[in-house]
Parts: sequence; structure tokens; C-alpha cells
Amino acid sequence: MSAGGAVDADTHVAPASLADLVPYLPAYWRDYVEGAALRLDPTQAGAYPPGAATVPAPADVETLRTQVLDAPAPGGTPVDVAVLSATSAFDVSRNPYYDAALCRALNDWVTATFLDHDPRLRGSIAVPSGDPEAAVEEIDRRAGDPRFVQVMLPVRGHDHRYGHRRFLPVFEAIAEHDLVVGLHAWGRAGSAATTTGFTHTYLQDYLAQGQIAQGQLTSLVVEGVLGRLPALRVVVAECGFSWLPPLLWRLDKEWKGIWREVPWVTRPPSEYLREQVRLTSTPAHLPADPDELVEALEILDPASLVLYAGDHPHVHGDGTERLLAALGPADRAAVLGGTARTFLLDRGSPARPPRTRSSTTPHRREEAPR
Amino acid sequence: MKVAVMGADELAPGEHRVVQVGRRSIGIFRVGDEYHALADHCPHQGGPLCRGRAAPLAVAGAPGEVALDPDRVFVACPWHGWEYDVTTGRSYFGPGEAPVRSYATEVVAVDPATGRVAGPYVADTYAVTVEDRVVVVDTAARRPTDPEETA
Repeated sequence: MSAGGAVDADTHVAPASLADLVPYLPAYWRDYVEGAALRLDPTQAGAYPPGAATVPAPADVETLRTQVLDAPAPGGTPVDVAVLSATSAFDVSRNPYYDAALCRALNDWVTATFLDHDPRLRGSIAVPSGDPEAAVEEIDRRAGDPRFVQVMLPVRGHDHRYGHRRFLPVFEAIAEHDLVVGLHAWGRAGSAATTTGFTHTYLQDYLAQGQIAQGQLTSLVVEGVLGRLPALRVVVAECGFSWLPPLLWRLDKEWKGIWREVPWVTRPPSEYLREQVRLTSTPAHLPADPDELVEALEILDPASLVLYAGDHPHVHGDGTERLLAALGPADRAAVLGGTARTFLLDRGSPARPPRTRSSTTPHRREEAPR
Repeated sequence: MKVAVMGADELAPGEHRVVQVGRRSIGIFRVGDEYHALADHCPHQGGPLCRGRAAPLAVAGAPGEVALDPDRVFVACPWHGWEYDVTTGRSYFGPGEAPVRSYATEVVAVDPATGRVAGPYVADTYAVTVEDRVVVVDTAARRPTDPEETA
């Protein structure tokens, strides 16, 4: 692959129906899905309404080539590498064992349907995000395949934010294998999309993805995951990015006053987030006014923060095109691929020390004697 | 000028009190069996620094593994919460006070005990001795052995 092409950090693939995954399910689970007449909801519980101006996510490599790989990025740059987001299992079942079996089948399907057929493709490991132990198992199972570059977690997760101690083994496994956390929009519809409860319109739900992402990033830094695992890298996908600077300002300000509650956060929170987090370009929520756009980009510093994503087949407007058009050549090249190559694709970089994993037993330690 | 300000046993370890020395208002802090004196004046905006809460540094080897370091006591100004090491008068938060939007990087000295970086303010400190169990403050302001100063 040439160094100058684009890296699409978030492009979707999805089984057309559960029938696509059945060959990858063990006999028990084939019987289970048949007996219960289970389906794989192509709209992900309303995340992508069937009536929206979109097409189904590609379910075969020819379609993916036509619609994504062989279509240039905005500005005409050819796509060298595309990272596949398979989010079909985000919210299928509250049965943790079925969830684990389905994620495993989905990863097998992504491998056999796409990764084995085009060298430009990289994968994201689907994991049963409600069961950290099973998620670690699936990560360990896939990590040996260098084509998988990240682990997909729904940004809308469970009752506990990802900084909670219960998820630590998942992040330790991700860091240990030099994978990346892909925190992707949407997720478990059973948990409220906002801090004040469930939403009442799709518009609120759609907007909430960026708000949930802010909560998850806050949790990851405040609860010490990013500090504890300095090699851990997080890509926030399809949640926007222009909300980041105000969050960082506020976090740093409040940390100065309330640091005693979280003494393991020894640096301003913005430093951890700037070092360990990147965000995909689509959807880009940017000012329409050209002068305001220039100001916004100066604050955001997209070259070090934003990874180009086509997010096919989801349609979010022309924000990414406007972002790329407003950048100079060097910054545009960084957003289109340069930053993604080092941050997201560069697995197995040498000399990352092996880590000792925490057990999944409950964590409680007495305070040291005074 | 050396001034006897109080009996050494009038403060328990961890306690502090503000005394008046002529026109000066000075906070006397007992940390373990050592005594430190700080001008009752916050370099940030002139608040009555030593009327604030003094507390040992909170430390954590890892998330959740919290403890207090009784040997490092910080006083927080009651006006805006700026915190100062009572031993050195050094504040640690907001080095440069640069807005987040400027992402300039530089190599700075980090306190090896806490991982923190020296901030912009240093409160005035005074030399303190204990003579015959009496705390004596030397009101000639000094800059004591502050690791940030010599680094």
C-alpha cells in the first residue's frame, strides 16, 4: 500500500440477515435461533431507520469494493485501507451466552467474507460487551490475526461506564495485544441514551451519541483507565468530534479543584485524552460559516485528532468533505490517512512490554494506614 | 527578625494556625514534628491563604489504591482553592495556565513523588525553628530548598 492513500477508519459491513451467520454458529445456537425465530435487526433497534437515505451495509466483498474500496475519498484520494465496523451484534440479545456465540460468528463471517478476499481490509473484533470475561476470550482468540486492528465497543453500553473496574480486563487485553478500542456510535437500547433518561425522538437519540461519547471518555480518564494503561488507544467512531475542546476545558478546570477524589489522575485530564484518543471524521458537526469553520479547526487541530471515515452507508451530510476542503495539504494528508496509520493500523509495534492482567474478581483495597 | 510565636505543643501534627507578627499574618503548620510558616497571602489574588483547609496530599499507586501522605501537607486558599505545599509554598496546578486550545509541548520537571508539574505560584515562606519547645519564626522571607527551584 502506498503511503499517500486514504485510510477509511469506519466503514460498515453487516450480514443481510441472520442466515448469513448461521453457518458460523455451533449446532446448539443454530437450533436456538431457529426455535426462537430470532432475527438480526438490520436497523439495529432503530439506530439506522430503514427509511433513511441510505443503503444496506455491504454484505459481500464485491459490493464493498464497488461502494467503498474502489470509490475515492473526498478530493479524489484512493482508499488504501478500510477498517470494517460490524456492529450488528451491538444489541441483539440479553442472553450473554448467545451474545458471545453471535459475536464469535460475526467475527468469523467478517474474516471469511471480507478479510480473506481483499488485502486492503482490516477488521474490528466484535465482543459481548456485557460480559468482560467472555469479551477477553474473544479478543484473545482473534488477536493473533494481524488483520484485526481494533475491538469494537458500543458507545452506548451498559449501566456502568467503561471506566468502571469491571471492564478493566477488557482494556488490559486490548492494550496487551496492541489493539485499539473502537468506541462506536449506538449500542444497547436497554440503557438510557442520556444522563436524564430515555429519549423520546430519533433526533435526540441521534444527537445523544456524541453526548454519550463524552461521558465514556470522561469515565475512561477520570476512573484511571487511560493513566493505568498508557499504551491504550481509543478511537471514537461516528460520534462527532467538534465537542471535544469544551469538554477538555471543563475537565481540566474541575480536576484542579476536585483532584483529591481521583488522585491517580496526576496530569490534567486533557493530556491523557489528547494522547490516547482519536475521533473519526463522520459525522462532522462544524460551523457553516467559513470564517467560523477556520476558527473551529484552529481549536480542534484535526491533523492530530481526526481520522477520515467514510462511514458508508450512513449519510450524515457533507461535513467531512467541508472539513477536508478547509485543511492545508499536510493536515489533509494526516486526517486522510497519516494519523490512522500510526494510531490505528500500526499493530505489533516493537517493544510494548507484556502486561500483567488484573483478575476479574471484585476490587476493593483498604486505604493504606495513615 | 526572630519572633517566638507559640509553644511547640500548641499544635498537634497536621494542625495549623494563623498568628499575627507585627503587621504580618503568618500561618504556622505542624507536619509531623516539623514546623513550617507561610505568609497568609495567596499569590493568586491575595486571598487569606492560611485560613484555608490544610490536608495531606492524596496519592494513588493505581486507580482505587488511595492513601494520604502525612509528610506532604497542602493548604488550599479559601478564595479559589489554589493549593500550596506548606513546606515550600509551591503550587502545582495550572502550570502556565494556558488554555487547552494551545497544544504547545515542552519538557518540564515532574515531581517524582506525585507526577505533578510545578505551577505558577509560590507562596512566601519563613524559616522556623523550635527553641526550648517554642516555635520561632524568622520573618525574613526565604525561598527554602524547593526542588522545583533547583531543578
